[in-house]
Amino acid sequence: MRLGLVFTGVFLILGALFSVSALSYAGGAWLEGFMQAKLGVAGGGHIVQILVSMLVCVMVMATLLTLAERKWSAFMQDRTGPNRARLPIPGLKNSALAGLPHIATDVVKMLTKEAFRPATANRFLFNLAPMMAFAPAFALFAIVPTGPTLTIAISDYTSRIVMSPTNPDSGLLLMFAIASLAVYGTSIAGWSSNNKFALLGGVRASSQMVSYEVALGLSLVGMMAAFSTVRLAGDDGMAALQARYLWSFNAGGFDIGLPAWGVFLQPVGFILFFAAAFAETKRAPFDSPEGESEIVGYFIEYSGMQFGMFMISEFVEVVVLSGVLTAIFFGGWSLPFGNEWLSNLEIMRQYPILLGATFGMVFWVKVVLLCYLQLAIRWTFPRFRYDQIQTLGWKILLPLGLVNLFVSGALILWDPSLKALTIVGLLEILAVVGLTLTPPRQVRKAQEAASHGGHGGGHDDHGHAHDHAPAALSAGHGGH
Amino acid sequence: MASLDEHYDPTPGDDELEAHLQTRNMVVNLGPSHPATHGTVRLRIELDGETIVKMDPEIGFLHRGFQKSCENTTWTNVLPYTDRLDYVASLTNNFGYLTAVEALIGLEIPQRAKYIRVIGAELHRIASHLTTIGALGLELGGFSAFLYAIEARELITDRVAELTGARLTTSYGRIGGLNRDLPAGWDEKVLKSLIKIEELLDETDRLLTRNRIFTDRMRGTGVITTDDALDFGFTGPCLRANGVNYDVRKAKPYWAYDQLDFEVPLGHNGDNFDRYYLRVLEIHQSLKMIRQAFKQLPAGPVMIDDWRIALPPKEQVYSTIEGVIAHFKLVMEGVPVPPGEIYHATEAANGELGWYLRSDGSGRPYKCHVRAPGFQILSGLAKMCEGRMLADLIPTFDTINMIGGEVEQ
Repeated sequence: MRLGLVFTGVFLILGALFSVSALSYAGGAWLEGFMQAKLGVAGGGHIVQILVSMLVCVMVMATLLTLAERKWSAFMQDRTGPNRARLPIPGLKNSALAGLPHIATDVVKMLTKEAFRPATANRFLFNLAPMMAFAPAFALFAIVPTGPTLTIAISDYTSRIVMSPTNPDSGLLLMFAIASLAVYGTSIAGWSSNNKFALLGGVRASSQMVSYEVALGLSLVGMMAAFSTVRLAGDDGMAALQARYLWSFNAGGFDIGLPAWGVFLQPVGFILFFAAAFAETKRAPFDSPEGESEIVGYFIEYSGMQFGMFMISEFVEVVVLSGVLTAIFFGGWSLPFGNEWLSNLEIMRQYPILLGATFGMVFWVKVVLLCYLQLAIRWTFPRFRYDQIQTLGWKILLPLGLVNLFVSGALILWDPSLKALTIVGLLEILAVVGLTLTPPRQVRKAQEAASHGGHGGGHDDHGHAHDHAPAALSAGHGGH
Repeated sequence: MASLDEHYDPTPGDDELEAHLQTRNMVVNLGPSHPATHGTVRLRIELDGETIVKMDPEIGFLHRGFQKSCENTTWTNVLPYTDRLDYVASLTNNFGYLTAVEALIGLEIPQRAKYIRVIGAELHRIASHLTTIGALGLELGGFSAFLYAIEARELITDRVAELTGARLTTSYGRIGGLNRDLPAGWDEKVLKSLIKIEELLDETDRLLTRNRIFTDRMRGTGVITTDDALDFGFTGPCLRANGVNYDVRKAKPYWAYDQLDFEVPLGHNGDNFDRYYLRVLEIHQSLKMIRQAFKQLPAGPVMIDDWRIALPPKEQVYSTIEGVIAHFKLVMEGVPVPPGEIYHATEAANGELGWYLRSDGSGRPYKCHVRAPGFQILSGLAKMCEGRMLADLIPTFDTINMIGGEVEQ
């Protein structure tokens, strides 16, 4: 019964993603063809993309994430999660509906609360800040491709559809440009509230976001060099190039191999980008601008929907970051195997829209999984201190990014087929996994101390604060 | 008269260019209503950027007139007031107070009562330490660790509720022993809960201690030197984190602590990490002690058989004149504590919980002063935080585990 419910849910979600992708292809093809035929301008496909993937997919996913965050965190913490809001409809009023009504109650609460503004706050900037925080987060999705470029015929029109809201030549550079706008929203919110706590939060946010932009940009240069492009969408974009295999063989029509996914080519770049982008989204462990137990946050004076804008922009950032990560490092819309087999199926050749919808579904599934990863990180890690964030950004991420860039650059020059880069990448992955699995020094010491009978070991009187381990907390015997 | 314009030179001089920007320190009030100041305390903080220049903890928001209330009621009726001192570990306060009064009378309580007091006090020591660890995780942003710790504490609260009838305000024990024996089957339930608590503690411990972010934030922050800690009058885990081996349970054993085999964990840096990890180790010691106490638990009465101090059994009250008189005198006049004064201390979760009691021979305390461990430790907070970052205040404030109820009385 319960398993059946889970399967129904999974199929429902997959079906929804599939149909949204299909709709996006069909609508895009039709509008593109219609506009070219009747108005003589291109770009209809992009308009449909803006509507479907940005307004529908990203917004709906961000809204669902508010619930998912509560449910998933509850799942991690042995709790039930939200189940109090019920619909007063016969047959449904005794069912929690997995907490879905909480989304509606959240919205009603946000919209009906008084939007309070402190008398001493700067009125214009105070009202501007939530919009400044929301818009860049949302606009970041503009360059992310959600499916392959296909030629689709619908009613009388046949048109070639690039599945991204825009596909400028500047590509990732546009993304960096928009991302750096996000800092204004938070720092203006902190400053214009005329509140000391908010000011502290705003200052923390601006310094953090400005310093992580350096690492953010640098971490992607390796990928740009590997594929010699800064575009994500289109036939020559990173997403399409990642669908190729580095090594592959054909098993009875079914192709298996190692795809050129960014995470295999640039694992260090992936970790750096993920860390830096996480810091840009200001979520735990990088949430010192919010730091609810210290300074309460840069949005302390906001209430109602203005606060809701800050909150929802955080969730939009999670979805957008997942989308960007998928497109750059996880092969975009492509499957890890069987891509060619799937595209060569008879039915897919006849109806390319099915192929596009399937790949679109794959893309969104990857996005959902990465969203889950981000929430899991948010609920396990404690918060960095403000100066530790700066240390991490400037002293660890930046040098690592530079080293990664030089090494990758040399490998790409030496072997343009990217195979050398991949081998080094796989070795890096092995090293990271090994480092993760070896217990930390203090645990090793504790284990050693335990095997030596517990006494004697562990008295480490080095005197420097950073070198002592839990096992070194010795046990005194007896009273004086 | 020459106008000012004649002397006005638009190019700034060298000294003007080199002059520092005039800055002022920012004064921030953390509390009394602030997420980090659990226990309603106001911290007036002078900030230079993110650095704390000066800090001034201000207490008094939870003042209830503890001493005066005690003077106006009988020795036994003081007990409910002691629940509200360290409300996270009320059994240690209950038993500490009772032991002090018994010492003033010169009373020896039955062996079984002594062991049950050890069990109760250690259970609540675990509860208090779990709360500290959990809240520490919570305030550093690790909400999951908090819930694991609180789940373990909840088990203790359930067991304590079965024992005493209340989850927080236990008021358990009476002068001369205990008001009731253990419920049937309670020991097995507790031993079962201990296994689960140990599991949850290990999980919390791994989640926090093995996290680099957590240890980086704890190590070397909130440091206090041993001399300063002794000067301020630190006791308990906060003092032992500096490596000073002082634990009342070992130094001056009471109840059945001299019969139990346990160690006193010591740190040596006096920083937040030592204070945190010491509590983890102390929980392990307490678990060990409870298991030993259950093994050694002797049979017998839990209350002395002296009707001047213990209430007579109900059937005696209803059927004999001696019973009625003893009952009446105990309820109306209180326990006849002989005139005199005493300072008696027990080890509470946060340190030495001392009682200065003075009796004038009536049934009421003439003076009842508590040396709550949190007060001295809170007074050292400014020393630990000044010159450090604002963010370091949060774990420091957590590891000293200030409990508003006992600090402000």
